[in-house]
Amino acid sequence: MAIPFSAVPVTGAADAVSAEKTATAEWTIYAVLFASASIVIGLVWDISWHRTIGRDTFWAAPHLMQQAGAIIAGLSCGYLALSTTFAGSFADRSQSVRFWKFFQAPIGAWVCIWGTIMMITSAPFDNWWHNAYGLDVKIISPPHIILASGMIAVELGAILMSLGAQNRAVTEGDKRKFGLIFAIGSAVIMVMVSVMLSEDASIANDMHGAGFYRAIGLIVPLFLVAFARASRLTWPATRIAIGYMLIMMVAMWILQLVPAQPKLAPIYNPVTRMVPPSFPLLLFAPAIAIDLALTRLRKLNDWMLALVIGACFVILMVAINWFWADFLMSPAARNFFFGADHWDYSSRPGPWQYQFWNLDGPNGTWSTPAFASGVAIAIVTAIVSTRLGLAWGKGMSRVKR
Amino acid sequence: MMKTFLRTAGVLVVYMIASAHVGSPDTWFEGNAGPYHVTVQIETAGVVPGIAKVFVRATGDIPQQVTIQANKFDATGGAPPPEPAIAGDDAGLFSGKLWIMSSGSNSVTVAVSGAKGAGKVVVPVVVVAYSRLKLDKPMGAVLAGMGIFLFAGLVTIVGAAVRESVLQPGDAPSATTRRRARVAMSMTSVLLAVAILGGWRWWNSEDASYVRRIYKPLSAVASIDRSTHNPELKLSITDSSWVHRGDSSWLRKNNGTGWTPLVEDHGKLIHIFMIRNDNAAFAHLHSATSDSVHFPTSLPPLPAGDYRVFADVVHESGFTHTMVTSVKVPERANGQAFTSSDPDDSYFTGAPARAKSRAILDDGSTIDWLGQDSPIVAGKPADLRFEVRRANGSLAALEPYMGMAGHAVVERADGSVFVHLHPMGTISMASQMAFAMRQPGDTIKGQLGKRVSEAEMSQMRQMATASGLVSFPYAFPREGSYLVWVQVRFAGSVHTAAFVASVRSAPAP
Repeated sequence: MAIPFSAVPVTGAADAVSAEKTATAEWTIYAVLFASASIVIGLVWDISWHRTIGRDTFWAAPHLMQQAGAIIAGLSCGYLALSTTFAGSFADRSQSVRFWKFFQAPIGAWVCIWGTIMMITSAPFDNWWHNAYGLDVKIISPPHIILASGMIAVELGAILMSLGAQNRAVTEGDKRKFGLIFAIGSAVIMVMVSVMLSEDASIANDMHGAGFYRAIGLIVPLFLVAFARASRLTWPATRIAIGYMLIMMVAMWILQLVPAQPKLAPIYNPVTRMVPPSFPLLLFAPAIAIDLALTRLRKLNDWMLALVIGACFVILMVAINWFWADFLMSPAARNFFFGADHWDYSSRPGPWQYQFWNLDGPNGTWSTPAFASGVAIAIVTAIVSTRLGLAWGKGMSRVKR
Repeated sequence: MMKTFLRTAGVLVVYMIASAHVGSPDTWFEGNAGPYHVTVQIETAGVVPGIAKVFVRATGDIPQQVTIQANKFDATGGAPPPEPAIAGDDAGLFSGKLWIMSSGSNSVTVAVSGAKGAGKVVVPVVVVAYSRLKLDKPMGAVLAGMGIFLFAGLVTIVGAAVRESVLQPGDAPSATTRRRARVAMSMTSVLLAVAILGGWRWWNSEDASYVRRIYKPLSAVASIDRSTHNPELKLSITDSSWVHRGDSSWLRKNNGTGWTPLVEDHGKLIHIFMIRNDNAAFAHLHSATSDSVHFPTSLPPLPAGDYRVFADVVHESGFTHTMVTSVKVPERANGQAFTSSDPDDSYFTGAPARAKSRAILDDGSTIDWLGQDSPIVAGKPADLRFEVRRANGSLAALEPYMGMAGHAVVERADGSVFVHLHPMGTISMASQMAFAMRQPGDTIKGQLGKRVSEAEMSQMRQMATASGLVSFPYAFPREGSYLVWVQVRFAGSVHTAAFVASVRSAPAP
């Protein structure tokens, strides 16, 4: 029986369109992914710059890379919003959300635009902060938090763009393609997360203190579990964790090769090459556990799932990092591959570099009960973080616009 | 836009006390760098770490290349490669910027080279946080505007995410999702408000902790002791961090600074200046101390009144302090004698001469402030050249007064600026020598100081007698009425002349 075209319900029409054309302006998905990666790689480079060279300007190369990321994300999403609002096809409009009841664009584009404006706002504020309180006395300062929030928003916007496409995709090829883009965007966010954690949880010297596990337990499961749940790929958390580790390892290897010289006094450690980031966190191990739990324990409710994943996350990290720390602090790790024993130009060399820091006992000494209770807190934190991640991931898995 | 902002920010800097001197944060040096005669001006940022502006003016032969390099007083820390200073429009003027990372005693090394060869000079710079920037209204308005826009933007995005982003393309949101979106938007608003409030409180606490870190000189008190026949000014450093400087457990407990010992600066451990509040009386005194805490000295026959007391000291690290206190000088009892504690003590009472005019001294000799009677502008190099003539009109052959051809003390009439100048600038000779003579083995407190004092004494003895001309490199830090006391020695005695200068504010850039 022939169905008159006018009788096809609107949703059906949209489905037909989306089957044909999964993503509105697919190039914007690549543009924002590129922007997101540019911001994060620029940030890793910037930190290495501060640890090696010290002095920079607003126009230093790592800053340009981050600014370029912000501009690319802002402009491409801004263009997408304007073209969808004023010249968008029915399909484009049907895959967008409204902003102030008028403007239309996919949700990811709005998040990217918001992030770009946030990053731009932080610039004059940060400049004022430097004039008022000194040049980056602390990494965690109000203008830096505004900047970091903007960066995270651009990165989240980027994954939301690919998520919409992944969740709308009808062909296996599209599902896989956008699923991979989402996984790469998620790995980029994991790099950002690890950078934000780096003061508390990056270096081997901290790995025998519970503070290390509290820090990662608080933040990492939230993101990793959410991304895993929102992904349509197999082994999503593992892929994302390996992606994060690869990005960090490549950055670590490349930076070690670049000759550089400190330009600020006093120089206690006369480095001759860029100081690389530490070897990445071994997130692949808990990621395998997350993937197994999400597939094998699907019948558990989210609270039970959070209990299992949160506890596994911390216990696995403690078990692995305990020995990993010993290895990283041994001469065997002081090579190009593992990149251990790199210190800032302003670090005064001493025995402290080869000792464990922030142990939990009195005056920084080892204490088994203190460590155990610290790890117990880390487990509870990780459970809560996982539970939030599960909820967030569930929400993201439903994003279609 | 950024430039305008920086200018506005610069104007809004609230001057507070600056170390080494009071209210006069710039460092000035004049002297030789090898075969070249240079004047170096260093404007520190007022925050640490901060960017210092360095200006090098060469007079006479102009070098081709000038480099600048900053380092901390720390013989174990290496210095970065020197930075080129860029030649300006004026012949002989070079400028550059240096990041100074640590507070305390730092140095800027100026190296010059050209047709006449190469030379180097180390200029000690005391770096401390001394200013606090206020958030100006346009900047505040821009930030608040962006804040409101971003707040509204995020709430809208959360609403759109909950309402529409999860719908199949083309579907319209149901009443339930709309309600859910409104709930999410309200919750986001509350969370954001809490975050903004938290951020505001964080900012305030950062600001409060910065204000606590702003440099304060060691606290001191002064009193007059009339119990003896020869009345004394008794100055004592009361600062706990100084009184307990040798007590490592106290310092650890109180997070105190491990001050290095005091060293003699041109032969004196302390230079005490008494200036009556109406600026009509002035004394430059020194003291022998047995404990580096109490500094008694004979009180000259100054007229009674309330006096500001400024005391300059130099630490072995090259760090310099000007302590500030006050004292009430009573009427001197008849018959009370004055035997100076130190042969280099001096005092002056009387009305000041106008700037760029002639001051006639008691014995008929004169000190002329040279230069045209053009306005003196804040921030611009002031022409502080003085010519000393004996009563018979001949140029006076100046003798070194504490190793210097002359001393000048500049004070803003309200006491908010005080600086002790020499022909070599605002820097202390002792701290310059400390930088030149430090060695990696100088970890024992007092060791370097001893060598500095010995070297300084021998250098002072060699100081050649100058002609009747003496000049001081300096720029008045801000507008106002200033007193300038110029002190020289000739014919075996110290002579002081006072001038009053009106300094205009710099025209808006």
